[in-house]
Amino acid sequence: MKVNNARYRGSAGAEGTMENFTALFGAQADPPPPPTALGFGPGKPPPPPPPPPGGGPGTAPPPPAATAPPGADKSAAGCGPFYLMRELPGNTELTGSTNLITHYNLEHAYNKFCGKKVKEKLSNFLPDLPGMIDLPGSHDNSSLRSLIEKPPILGGSFNPITGTMLAGFRLHTGPLPEQCRLMHIQPPKKKNKHKHKQSRTQDPVPPETPSDSDHKKKKKKKEEDPERKRKKKEKKKKKNRHSPDHPGVGSSQASSSSSLR
Amino acid sequence: MAEKFDHLEEHLEKFVENIRQLGIIVSDFQPSSQAGLNQKLNFIVTGLQDIDKCRQQLHDIMVPLEVFEYIDQGRNPQLYTKECLERALAKNEQVKGKIDTMKKFKSLLIQELSKVFPEDMAKYRSIRGEDHPPS
Repeated sequence: MKVNNARYRGSAGAEGTMENFTALFGAQADPPPPPTALGFGPGKPPPPPPPPPGGGPGTAPPPPAATAPPGADKSAAGCGPFYLMRELPGNTELTGSTNLITHYNLEHAYNKFCGKKVKEKLSNFLPDLPGMIDLPGSHDNSSLRSLIEKPPILGGSFNPITGTMLAGFRLHTGPLPEQCRLMHIQPPKKKNKHKHKQSRTQDPVPPETPSDSDHKKKKKKKEEDPERKRKKKEKKKKKNRHSPDHPGVGSSQASSSSSLR
Repeated sequence: MAEKFDHLEEHLEKFVENIRQLGIIVSDFQPSSQAGLNQKLNFIVTGLQDIDKCRQQLHDIMVPLEVFEYIDQGRNPQLYTKECLERALAKNEQVKGKIDTMKKFKSLLIQELSKVFPEDMAKYRSIRGEDHPPS
């Protein structure tokens, strides 16, 4: 920033400087509107009176210390043109000039979440949760927001279900209709190259409730196995016919194919 | 601190697993599975009791409502943490830029004012306790 007033540079005396100062800031014919009009609040003092036409040093004596605005530097009150000066904020105060992430030791969290791509879906965060959890909660009225807005009516405590109450949970035998089988629907997952055991597989599952789909899969596998064996045997025979001089080739293939199974 | 969360997580996992098993029993109900169903129902009641007990230890935990919105939309809640950190850093940089610019402006203003009003500025510096004009 430059003050384009080369005339006043250099050897101007105190009188001259004040004249210049008033010429720059206080030469208006009318006083500026009161600070309240600018929205600065009522705590500010009225602006200093305009200087007399002649100007001169110390023409506008500052108001006494009692009229200093709240928050203004009291030591500065009565210090010539600086009576409106306020105290500077302390250097110890925490501001945006410091890196607040390092200040609060959050670099680890920052690198963890912002360093690599975070997967979008909720099922990536809760992979073991059954059901279609990636769908919006508003679809099946299962949103957490609705739980907060309309909290369920609760009694004092949770009591175990006694014998007579359990009679209400006697169910009809047979499978549920397809549209009610929400628990079995799982989002399609990408196949991982590395197989890893899930803890859920170790948990005991009631033996009397195998799902129909599992049965079908097992049956299919059983049906396919003898057919495969036949085909492989036929292949072996063909190869042996074509290369009678190298019987070892066929046997090694057979062993490799059996090991792959 | 972390123990409290581990405790709750453990109870929630057990509860979810019980619900899953209950779903399996109910999906193809057999007369012989009535006893298992009754047992599972009572497991769920005890599970709810355990989760309710954890509430006392976690009464001082604050969860931002925006996280619930992420979960309700089927989005990973870690994205909220990520976006929060990114926003905080961006704002931090913005404020730092403003502070640096204002500092530069102040030093330049003082420098220029010192040229035009050397005595006033000397007075100003003496009030502020600054002996030398900032460069």
